[in-house]
Amino acid sequence: MALGRNACGRCEFDGSEEELKQRRGDFLSDYVEMRFGPRWTYISCVRKFVASFFMIGLADKERAEQISMAASELLENAVKYASEEEGYLKISIQKQQNEVDVCVKNKAESQHINTLRREFALIHAGQPETVYLKKMEEAAMTEGQSRLGLIRILFEAGARLRLDVNEGEVSIHAIFPLETA
Amino acid sequence: MNETLTPLTAEGLSIVPAVHDTKLRLTMSGAVEMRDPGEMLNPFWTKMDEEARSRNVQSVEVDLRDLNFMNSSGILTLVRWITKLKASAAYRLVLRYDRNVTWQRSSIPTLAKLAPNVVVPLEING
Repeated sequence: MALGRNACGRCEFDGSEEELKQRRGDFLSDYVEMRFGPRWTYISCVRKFVASFFMIGLADKERAEQISMAASELLENAVKYASEEEGYLKISIQKQQNEVDVCVKNKAESQHINTLRREFALIHAGQPETVYLKKMEEAAMTEGQSRLGLIRILFEAGARLRLDVNEGEVSIHAIFPLETA
Repeated sequence: MNETLTPLTAEGLSIVPAVHDTKLRLTMSGAVEMRDPGEMLNPFWTKMDEEARSRNVQSVEVDLRDLNFMNSSGILTLVRWITKLKASAAYRLVLRYDRNVTWQRSSIPTLAKLAPNVVVPLEING
């Protein structure tokens, strides 16, 4: 799926009704993957696509909107902090853990990676709501970026967050448990 | 007495302010998903805060029901407004939201906890 003049994209999905029914109870992994250049204007497009896609695939509007919010917040971070003209969204559904794993990868400078590590430590250092409110109060007193995206995913969407760093490539996972039917 | 103030319309977002007797009502629609919503929203919220104070309104109601998304940078603009109001309370800030819109149901009650004495989350079903 092409998302723009400077983008390349791929979307893998057999959208037949029978296939959808099967996937509600028997998810295949890595069935959606999109790559595109770090342009802000793509984020809204991806958010809407992800919401629509998971509303069909999961038949759960609330979960679909939480997943699309997380995708949007992670992409915003990736576009802001990507060090090279590279960034992509990867969404996978893993049958074994019965969960949705929203993963955004991008290359980042070492100082941004260190900031991210500190941010992860901070948001996991207390009750999510308490941390969220504290970060809101702190953000209101300072200029610049909100840095509320990750804690918003953790608290509002109820996702688990994981940070992987490999040779300057940052992967942030937002992992959503799915209810078993 | 009803009076319409200058609306804000930009980048897929519309905010229409109107004064109804002792209430200033701001009706939002579209989405807040621009890169730096503070550039546009912080001065607008400041202007609305000044309008509310100069007119001595009892409440400012922000109707978010037709706002389909707000990113965390947009949330921060509301946090800034609430923080200012908490420090110098002059009116109640009512946040009217739709319980069927996931981001609204999760974000708005949390925002209200920042200043429960001045911010009122008003949940509507539809």
